[in-house]
Amino acid sequence: MKVTALIVGSSLLGPLRRAEGEINRRHAAGLSVCAYNLGAPLAEGEWASVESDLCGSEIVFVIHVTDGENASRLIELLRRQGEPGRTVVVINCMPELMRQTRMGGLTFGAKGGLEGADGGGRARRLLKSVGSWMGGQARARRKGGGHGQYLRLVERMPALLRFVPNAGRLRDLKHYLYLFCYFLQPTPANVASMLLYALKHYGGERRLSDVKVPPPESVPAVGVYHPDAANIFESFEAYRRWYDARARRSGTQLLGPSKTVGLLLMRTNVVSGTRRHYDALVRAVEREGLAALPVISTFMDNRDACAQFFVEEGRPRVSQIVSLTGFSFVGGPAMNDSEAAVEFLKGLNVPLRSAVSLDVQTIEAWRESHTGLNPVQAGMQVAIPEIDGATEPFVYGGMPAEGVEPAALEERCVRVARRLRRWNRLQTEERRGLKVALVLFCFPPNKGNIGTAADLDVFPSLHEILTRLSADGYDVEVPADADALRERLLGGNSESFGAVANVAYRMNVEEYLRLCPYASEIEAEWGAAPGRINAFGRDLLIQGVRLGNAFAAVQPTFGYEGDPMRLLMSRGGAPHHGFAALYTYLEKVFGADAVVHVGTHGSLEFMPGKQVGLSGECWPDRLIGELPHVYLYSVNNPSEGSIARRRSYAGLVSYLTPPVEDAGLYRELASLKELLRAYRQSADERERESLYAAIEEKAGALHLSPE
Amino acid sequence: MSRPRDEQSKEERDRRVLELWERVVEVEQRLIPTGLHVFGRASGERECADLLRAVASFDRPECGARALHDLVSEALGLGPYERLITDKTEAGWRARARVDEEVRACVELFLREGTAAACELLQKESGVDPAESRKVFELLGRIREQLGTSGELEGLARALRGEYVEPGPGADIVQNPSVLPTGRNTHAVNPYAVPSHTAYERAGRVVDTLLARHRAEHGRQPRTMALVLWGLDNIKTQGEGVAQALRLLGMRPLRDSLNRVTEVEPIPLDQLGRARVDVVMTVSGIFRDLFGATMLLLDKAVRCVAELDEPDELNPVRANVRARVAEGVCTAEEASLRVFSNAPGSYGTNVNFMVMDSQWESADALGDLFVTRKCFAYGRALEGREAKGALSRALSSVEAAYQNVDSFEIGITDVDHYFEYLGGVSKAVERHAGGRPAVYLSDALSRDARVRTLPEMVRLETRAKTLNPKWYEGMLGHGFRGVAEIESHVTNTFGWSATADAVDGWVYEEVARTYVLDEQMLERLARLNPHSARSLVARLLEAEGRGFWEAEAGIVERLREAFSDLEDRIEGVA
Repeated sequence: MKVTALIVGSSLLGPLRRAEGEINRRHAAGLSVCAYNLGAPLAEGEWASVESDLCGSEIVFVIHVTDGENASRLIELLRRQGEPGRTVVVINCMPELMRQTRMGGLTFGAKGGLEGADGGGRARRLLKSVGSWMGGQARARRKGGGHGQYLRLVERMPALLRFVPNAGRLRDLKHYLYLFCYFLQPTPANVASMLLYALKHYGGERRLSDVKVPPPESVPAVGVYHPDAANIFESFEAYRRWYDARARRSGTQLLGPSKTVGLLLMRTNVVSGTRRHYDALVRAVEREGLAALPVISTFMDNRDACAQFFVEEGRPRVSQIVSLTGFSFVGGPAMNDSEAAVEFLKGLNVPLRSAVSLDVQTIEAWRESHTGLNPVQAGMQVAIPEIDGATEPFVYGGMPAEGVEPAALEERCVRVARRLRRWNRLQTEERRGLKVALVLFCFPPNKGNIGTAADLDVFPSLHEILTRLSADGYDVEVPADADALRERLLGGNSESFGAVANVAYRMNVEEYLRLCPYASEIEAEWGAAPGRINAFGRDLLIQGVRLGNAFAAVQPTFGYEGDPMRLLMSRGGAPHHGFAALYTYLEKVFGADAVVHVGTHGSLEFMPGKQVGLSGECWPDRLIGELPHVYLYSVNNPSEGSIARRRSYAGLVSYLTPPVEDAGLYRELASLKELLRAYRQSADERERESLYAAIEEKAGALHLSPE
Repeated sequence: MSRPRDEQSKEERDRRVLELWERVVEVEQRLIPTGLHVFGRASGERECADLLRAVASFDRPECGARALHDLVSEALGLGPYERLITDKTEAGWRARARVDEEVRACVELFLREGTAAACELLQKESGVDPAESRKVFELLGRIREQLGTSGELEGLARALRGEYVEPGPGADIVQNPSVLPTGRNTHAVNPYAVPSHTAYERAGRVVDTLLARHRAEHGRQPRTMALVLWGLDNIKTQGEGVAQALRLLGMRPLRDSLNRVTEVEPIPLDQLGRARVDVVMTVSGIFRDLFGATMLLLDKAVRCVAELDEPDELNPVRANVRARVAEGVCTAEEASLRVFSNAPGSYGTNVNFMVMDSQWESADALGDLFVTRKCFAYGRALEGREAKGALSRALSSVEAAYQNVDSFEIGITDVDHYFEYLGGVSKAVERHAGGRPAVYLSDALSRDARVRTLPEMVRLETRAKTLNPKWYEGMLGHGFRGVAEIESHVTNTFGWSATADAVDGWVYEEVARTYVLDEQMLERLARLNPHSARSLVARLLEAEGRGFWEAEAGIVERLREAFSDLEDRIEGVA
């Protein structure tokens, strides 16, 4: 017997495989389950094998498919094959796919509602709402209908089913709803039951027709999950008792508002037991001395999970939120209500970070790809959460090519956790002890261009910033005025090194090789350190000025100057030693707690690497390392700004564009207009003629020949 | 050229006067930045009448406000304002001036005395219903208030305290006033929402104008065009550039049941009413990153058009693909590649670096560099496959190059990226098609969705900014940075010579007169930022050396002197 499951995401494959084994072991059913992840468009070869598997399958499950291209190809395939005896169970897909459901006499009508069975009252209504759920989500903007419905279904569905008769014309309808019940609670046992139930009623195997299928087991709809706990905690208090007792035993961080990271987990992964990536991230967070509060996401609207678990009497219990759901904060997979999300998060005033699990591409594909995340993941898991204000789109885990459930990317989990700790330091430490790097640009690299930034007068801006930092309690030196600040940066010892700016630190090659873990890779591209850029003798020059606990630095350029061969390379290789040395210095010598890039824009975020969803081999990721990153960005440039957000984990702070005014007229242009006006107003032909002569003369001088 | 005066009829003279009038007014009314921003400073004191008037010139459906210009025009019985600005007769200009004056007066009164007074004035003078005008002034009032305070330092302080920084959209203020207040975490858009209905509608007008413009000058519409697609305008306009590409191809976007743009379909030729246009899209690395799904859609659109059973003269995509295959140079698959960008994970054409660092001898090198950097094909199952031959072949039939510009805040001489892309592609076309393409830019953020040729746009930018005392005095008010800005404009203008030969010689001469030959001015520049002053002079000398202008010997001599004086001065400073 053969079942083909066309699914999306990382939570169902593991349980399906286990169910296949268990059913074969217990019932000798000779069952084979073929599964495909239809989250992103399949390649031609994959479609060929889907086609052949579909052909021999008695039962087909289609679950969660919302990718347009996959949906239309699948519909076409099912139509073309048109096997009358085959049962097709479509759950929670877009309406046109829902209509492909074939279970005995049951079909879905044009709007996903029920057709082909009369009567049935409550069951009919239930099926209708289940069938049109996905389409309804897209329409239910701001009403929150889809969300409430989901939670109600999770809790009440099994009870409701008792009212539906087993036989007669509602038989298939009841079976569909039963399968849906199992799907809503995809525990390993329920997934096995879902398969068995379908096989029993639609598999055509006599030996399974008398099998007793257990009723759906129930897991709380919301709660706190922890990898070390046996059960899900239904209340924060229960979790706190357990967590703090454990923390006291092991000497780890207790739950407390300033030291706790709230994590939002996908319910399906928690329930189905496919959560090793979550476990790894939770443990990494705890290893960094932070407490973890991982809660089951309320899917369509995370405000509920947050309000229930992350807030106590209006005060947050967490100081950072990491969403691992891969969806928008309010709205789930089919829409996003960012206004509602922002309103809520503003009230909470806790930063939202959104980390990415490779649920619709494999870890191996991601690793090999120069692109990083595929377009589906980049759109859904990065672009949409950004609109809610989510930052730092790290990939921390995903589906291995040869595995059945998600695995963690340990190195990435550590990076995410360390950055959370760094951010926490900014939240909790005395400001006088915090160090801030303020990085300026200089392009093309000559003294005149120090402070390059679109629309921004950088030195007065920097002066304003230092003044504010000082007022806020940071221990920074504020020069007398913007000019004095500029003099310090441009002048100083710069001439003696032939540098564009003052040299604040000379990092000798030995120190550089010791501190920069990627130096040997850079040497492969640029030759032995220090190289010729930002170098002096055996030293790499760090340009900038130290201002107490602030360091105003000048970022080197790509290093193309006077190097035509490098310009011609179609793929970038690595930043040069001088570039890497600056960020090495900031993190490891100066000891920055945060980096602020001042203005639109520099080169760090355009260094070679994946486009989005970076790995530890990508240069922007390596350069910014663990440092919290703030980027001051012109408000009229959301495109380059997004690259900074995605490739260097920057939080942007937008700045205003300069005043705009009508250009007006000047000199000869102004007098030409007067002549033209006089001509237009004059009724005297002789006057017009002489005006015209003057006009042509002036127009000629202004190069205004006819176009 | 114009004929001698005595041969001209009165009508011709009148026409010429109105044409000049239009061009003078075009400069006069062009919005330009007049200075730089200082982070954290409110601009309460700044001149905002022109900005507010520009905001009021567009419908704002999000707050139920109609364009002030339309309200006035209609109340005066002149019909829609759109009609006035396309009417280039004496009567048209007079009607337009009347509306403009009413609007100007009421915005000024609003700034002095507030909403009630402005509404009353409009009602009295033009008969505009105060219920309508109030909505406009309420919006203007909000903007003015937001400009009067700054949340930028607070935003930075919040970020450094590890707090939530509210997200916000990014755009020109005129385009989308909800970019205010600043101090927020700017975001892009949902790629599946692109192009929006509005973007597709607006693209229709721009494409019509573009094709009409080309027809008027070349007798027929172009069969193949090169388009530059950026993330910038496509984010700010929800995909107008993308929509223009689809319109040129004669395709329309389709939304699925989850309201995502995931499919395209051809517009039948009888509905389209013209031939389709083949489009070669060179896409920025940023667009590629932000609009991955959109690139797939554009590739799909081209392939779909290539397979339509239509006559060659109406479907140049199909004709071009078939011709390449018939020549035996490549497969149909390869001949259909039209979406090109950088190698995955790599950005930019480097044409700007090569120009700014003077690392080129013949301009051909710039076109070749563009192709080298941009020859990676995107689309179904391609993922950025290197396809130099395919890009070169696709460019070989290009007759016109085009880029959508939706901003006056970021103009074609304000940044180096316009010349590296649009200039780069036009130089690449020149290399492969054997002739220079017509190059167009739209002014999408204007009431009449104008399309200009590149030389027209360079002249306009030069007159409105580089040579305009209002612009450069605004910059010089910022001292050191201001001089660097002026130098950067000159270099970006130079970039248009290098890549597209689109700059008249007089531009360099006027720049030299304004900034170098005027000794007082040169002294100011040298005092504020001798390094950038030196770069500016050096760039003018380079332009002369490369033959971009034929300078009088005396001018060259004075430039050389100025350069060596600046050198000495910089040495002396050291």
